[in-house]
Amino acid sequence: MEGISYQRFPKVKIREMKDDYLKFELRETDASMANALRRVMLAEVPTLAIDLVEIEVNSTVLNDEFIAHRLGLIPLTSDRAMSMRFSRDCDACDGDGQCEFCSVEFTLNVRCTSDHTLDVTSTDLRSSDPTICCPVDVAARATAALDPNSAYDPSEQRGIIIVKLRRGQELRLRAIARKGIGKDHAKWSPAATVTFMYEPDIHINEDLMETLTLEEKRSWVESSPTKVFDIDPNTQQVVVVDPEAYTYDDEVIKKAEAMGKPGLVDINAKEDSFIFTVESTGAIKASQLVINAIEILRQKLDAVRLSLDTEECDEQFGELGAHLRGSAV
Amino acid sequence: MAVPDEDDTSKRIPSPVSMKSLAAPVKSAVDKYQLLPEFLKVRGLVKQHLDSFNYFINCEIKKIIHAKDNERIVSDINPKIYLKFLDIYVESPSVEEDHIREPLIPQRCRLSDTTYAAPVKVDIEYTRGNPIQTEIKKGHVIANMPIMLRSRRCVLYGMDDDELARLGECPLDPGGYFIVKGTEKVLMIQEQLSKNRIIIDTDKKGRVSASVTSSTHERKSKTVIVMEKERIYLQLNQFTKLIPIMVIMKAMGMESDQEVVQMVGRDPRYSGLLLPSIQECASERIYTQYQALEFLEKKVVKSRFTNQKVHQGDFYPKCIYVGVMLRRMLEAILNADTIDDKDYVGNKRLELSGQLISLLFEDLFKTMSSAAKKSIDEALTKASRSSSMDISLHLKKDWITHGLERAISTGNWDVKRFKMNRKGMTQVVSRLSFIAALGHMTRIQPQFEKSRKVSGPRALQPSQWGMLCPCDTPEGEACGLVKNLALMTHVTTDEEESPLITLCYSLGVEDMSLLSAEELHSVNSYLVMFNGLILGKHRLPQRFANGMRKLRRAGKIGEFVSVFVNEKQRCVYLASDGGRVCRPLVIADKGVSRIKEHHMKELRDGARVFDDFLREGLIEYLDVNEENNALIALYEGEADSKTTHIEIEPFTILGVCAGLIPYPHHNQSPRNTYQLCRMDTLLYLLVYPQRPLLTTKSIELVGYDKLGAGQNATVAVMSYSGYDIEDAIVMNKSSLDRGFGRCIVMKKVSAVKQAYDRIIMPKMSSGKGGLDSHMQILDTDGIASPGEIVRPLDILINKQSATVSRDQLISHKVLPDSAYKFTPVKHKGTEGETTVVDRVALFTDKDQNMVIKFMIRHTRRPEVGDKFSSRHGQKGVCGTIVQQEDFPFSERGICPDLIMNPHGFPSRMTIGKMIELLGGKAGVSCGRFHYGSAFGEPSGHADRVEVIRYHRVSSPSVYIHGTYLLPKAKTYGLRLGEMERDCLIAYGASMLIFERLMISSDPFKAQVCRKCGLLGYYHHSLKTGFCSMCKSGENVSTMKLPYACKLLFQELQAMNIVPRLQLTEH
Repeated sequence: MEGISYQRFPKVKIREMKDDYLKFELRETDASMANALRRVMLAEVPTLAIDLVEIEVNSTVLNDEFIAHRLGLIPLTSDRAMSMRFSRDCDACDGDGQCEFCSVEFTLNVRCTSDHTLDVTSTDLRSSDPTICCPVDVAARATAALDPNSAYDPSEQRGIIIVKLRRGQELRLRAIARKGIGKDHAKWSPAATVTFMYEPDIHINEDLMETLTLEEKRSWVESSPTKVFDIDPNTQQVVVVDPEAYTYDDEVIKKAEAMGKPGLVDINAKEDSFIFTVESTGAIKASQLVINAIEILRQKLDAVRLSLDTEECDEQFGELGAHLRGSAV
Repeated sequence: MAVPDEDDTSKRIPSPVSMKSLAAPVKSAVDKYQLLPEFLKVRGLVKQHLDSFNYFINCEIKKIIHAKDNERIVSDINPKIYLKFLDIYVESPSVEEDHIREPLIPQRCRLSDTTYAAPVKVDIEYTRGNPIQTEIKKGHVIANMPIMLRSRRCVLYGMDDDELARLGECPLDPGGYFIVKGTEKVLMIQEQLSKNRIIIDTDKKGRVSASVTSSTHERKSKTVIVMEKERIYLQLNQFTKLIPIMVIMKAMGMESDQEVVQMVGRDPRYSGLLLPSIQECASERIYTQYQALEFLEKKVVKSRFTNQKVHQGDFYPKCIYVGVMLRRMLEAILNADTIDDKDYVGNKRLELSGQLISLLFEDLFKTMSSAAKKSIDEALTKASRSSSMDISLHLKKDWITHGLERAISTGNWDVKRFKMNRKGMTQVVSRLSFIAALGHMTRIQPQFEKSRKVSGPRALQPSQWGMLCPCDTPEGEACGLVKNLALMTHVTTDEEESPLITLCYSLGVEDMSLLSAEELHSVNSYLVMFNGLILGKHRLPQRFANGMRKLRRAGKIGEFVSVFVNEKQRCVYLASDGGRVCRPLVIADKGVSRIKEHHMKELRDGARVFDDFLREGLIEYLDVNEENNALIALYEGEADSKTTHIEIEPFTILGVCAGLIPYPHHNQSPRNTYQLCRMDTLLYLLVYPQRPLLTTKSIELVGYDKLGAGQNATVAVMSYSGYDIEDAIVMNKSSLDRGFGRCIVMKKVSAVKQAYDRIIMPKMSSGKGGLDSHMQILDTDGIASPGEIVRPLDILINKQSATVSRDQLISHKVLPDSAYKFTPVKHKGTEGETTVVDRVALFTDKDQNMVIKFMIRHTRRPEVGDKFSSRHGQKGVCGTIVQQEDFPFSERGICPDLIMNPHGFPSRMTIGKMIELLGGKAGVSCGRFHYGSAFGEPSGHADRVEVIRYHRVSSPSVYIHGTYLLPKAKTYGLRLGEMERDCLIAYGASMLIFERLMISSDPFKAQVCRKCGLLGYYHHSLKTGFCSMCKSGENVSTMKLPYACKLLFQELQAMNIVPRLQLTEH
């Protein structure tokens, strides 16, 4: 066993990247790594979210807790969140979360004076420092205004509705956004969706396939709920058009069995290659989300790294000790 | 699902809810569904209550005061002094404050714990003064009567949604209940055996009897004719003993035995049965009317019975009535099939709030009158009458007011006059959810006590079809006794009889009094009975019935009059009395529906309303009896030439609550029943209510989609962790964070500030300028202010009570602080809950004390142990809450909100739930709502039955399994059930389990082969155990095991599964 390294060098290939969407391949690693990454992205990448609400006036139909809960769920831009402090370990303030290192203050002051129903939206939230933190739709509008080429149409965006007001109703409050992680409350989760799938490995048994008539081929191809296979119009052979569309539903395999041709196709999941899809809430860019996640994963691993002065315990830990101290030795 | 083409606009139904058009099934026949919302628009969901109450207020109450005994109060001392009621009327609700009457609104009554009542005024004619002169006084208030919400007299009657909202009423609230002392009370619908009808039955001793319960405004009595030892007797409350029937007949003037025999019918079998009775009478030596009356005299007092009217001592109608009763009874003796079914819905009458209140009112009115009379007499006997006599002052309104209020608020109907003593007549409207409240209004309570261990009344009666919901009944002791009205059922109110009787005569009914006894039962004619009264006979019954029906369809007589030709009894029954259940049906002529497409189009265009259909004779109401004369097709396509009626919509056989279940026809039927009882889950006020993705038509009709009480969850059906056994569910923490299943609970706290109390400003304590930690939420007036967060033991009202006696208080001196004791109102709550003061209301109660009411709000998010339920009677507690990242996810990243254990399906057989899951997903995927109404889609997937077939083990095992009894409860038959067994296993009480499940239940000595492990048998000739597999008795041991276990092995063997026992020495 000595000398054999099981170290692997995962590779990442980005397929598609937008601000709030990222699709990439992760290869040459195993499911534990992929899953760890997914879990961290969902639950441990920090963002900012409204955590404390002081209501001054609330004559709306919704009660205070209700509004506070809704405010909490508004995604806020949190590009700085990684460098900010959790308010519980902030030295600069006594924990009420009103310092620049750990919190951002918002105010909201709306009153309906017309006969029309007035929507109170995220755009009505005034940030004490919009450069650090503001609702994501407000930020999107601001960036779109700077970029004339963007496809963003402000008239389509109404903001995130908090509550609706009728004539005479008023909502006045002060809210403080703090840093947090999704594990504590889902409002701090920067990810709308993080998912990965094993890359499928599809082998069609061509010999067996040739025994099928065109009609049978067609019905077999159509048995898949997603468009994985198709028939080549020229050669009339069944070809795999999009292996990743396969959802491991086994429909084609069952169909083949029902047709009396088991083994017509062989589909396996590649154990070491994953296709990740990450969608962000807008709090941070999807690409940044992945990078932050890797960073946090590293920090977590660092936490279990043994200090260099534990060599005397090597008897106890053996090879593991050296490994945990880092392989720099 | 078939989606109608966009251009096929003729099929589409424009409606307020656009989705209705989506699921409109393509029917070849006319789509009559639209009639339903139209029907409910005119009728409302609680019309039966409103109609009944309106009838009471408009007609019944007038009848009561004009009844002979009630109309006048005459003094015994001076008969010239009298009081006569001329008219009575109920005004709209109002309250008298400081001698000013002002209108009352329901919301105010709820808040201030008062009764929503209206003054009842009478016009009276009375004598006063000396010398006596007659005076007329109008508008004298005799009572304050609780008023049913949304009835004619209610302020909310006829208001539109905006006006209702302004008065603080929910526009969707159906009304139909009372507000008494601030609580909402429904008068439950009472189920009773019909009045004034001959019912043939066998009594406890197995005797055949014919009974009639007569009920008029004047008196109520029960007459029973019973057969004992081959002789026929009559039983009546006025008589101490049973009276031979022939004596009665003679007493009523029918001296000739021959006439009696003729009246019963000429069939020699009847006269044979009558013979012993005739002989008995003869042996008593009673031959004449006079002798008979003398005989009766000895047996006690007056003889008046049955509801046949007596005119100037003419007993002939009564004789005929008795004759008919006798005939029916003898028929029943000869042929047991003709015994009436007491559970038949046609023999039932439903008593609604109007009738019940009317009974109570009548009783109280009489009490008031006699009290007034007494006080008048007292006043007259007093020698020195200083002031002139004013009778009207002796009418005390408190009698009726308090009587009504007490009865409704306690639910005890104790009416001695009518020998009525019933409890639990009213219930507090359950406001847990909108549908629970609605369901409450349609509930029917039985008359007899629930403990009766009989299956008859509990069974589902075929005659309930379309009238009473087959699913909606509680579990447990009241199962099958408490019922609910179906969606389209209507309960009739009384209708004027005399015009109908006249009409019958003009249609050719031969008057009974002109008929001889012989003619009565002649072969070619039918008797005509009207509300239990014999009118006469008709030679062409079918023609007569058709004539009546034609008149009804033309609207000449009331739409709820029923005409029923009973071929067996050779009778035509006409009924116009109240309390019958009936429902609308489409009339068909020789199987062709009278409703055509153009009618429906006019309806959709608003040119036609439901009443037009009725008026034009396209639709009519049939009651249960008349349904027997009709052949009703379920769908138009199934009608043939004999069909007389067509159902409007098949799902209307279900009630309001059952209509909420999607695909109920795919579920095992008790599951639907369980679901209806399941309306009790933690649904107080959901934070994010959603419309169900899979609606049913009933949901829309009821307005449930506007007042949701549920959420659509993404569900994974899989086993996950160990926290999901026994129907527990695993929930996603992130979903809960985002507001899934969150609800607000409101709690009411109220306190009265007595005259000797004072509420003071919170005192500033010295330290830090702050207040006492429990006083922080108090406002400057000493009462907690809205919006404040309340912790346990926080003071809500900073109240102090005087410790000094009453006299000192009255002296109006300002008492020193020392005279007060601190008596604050504290919040009682559990630690860790965040509760908030939602509202504070101050008002004065009837004793002029200030009452402070707090609404305390508490937002709850689901926790472990909370109960959740789907719409199919599948409840489950939350077993554990799991982080989202630990949850399964799909390749598209979808994470379920909760995980359900698949073991919940096989035994429950809720296929409907699976279809709902699929339908829901289809709905989400294509972004629209789908229908899951009962009987909505074409059925008959015969090719699929093969796949979902399941095995059912033969019944003996089930039987034997059920015999594990708890030690103490052996005599009561309590079962040590599965759950109890689980508890014992978990506790480790293995010997107890052994004792219960084996020794005390069904131990069995089995022969087991040690070699092959199979069960053998005891070979009697060899006197040893024998294994038929090994063909030897060498290795056979005897062991004990539960019989059920042995049976299981054998059943398994029958299915080609071999259970082998491996025995070791112990």
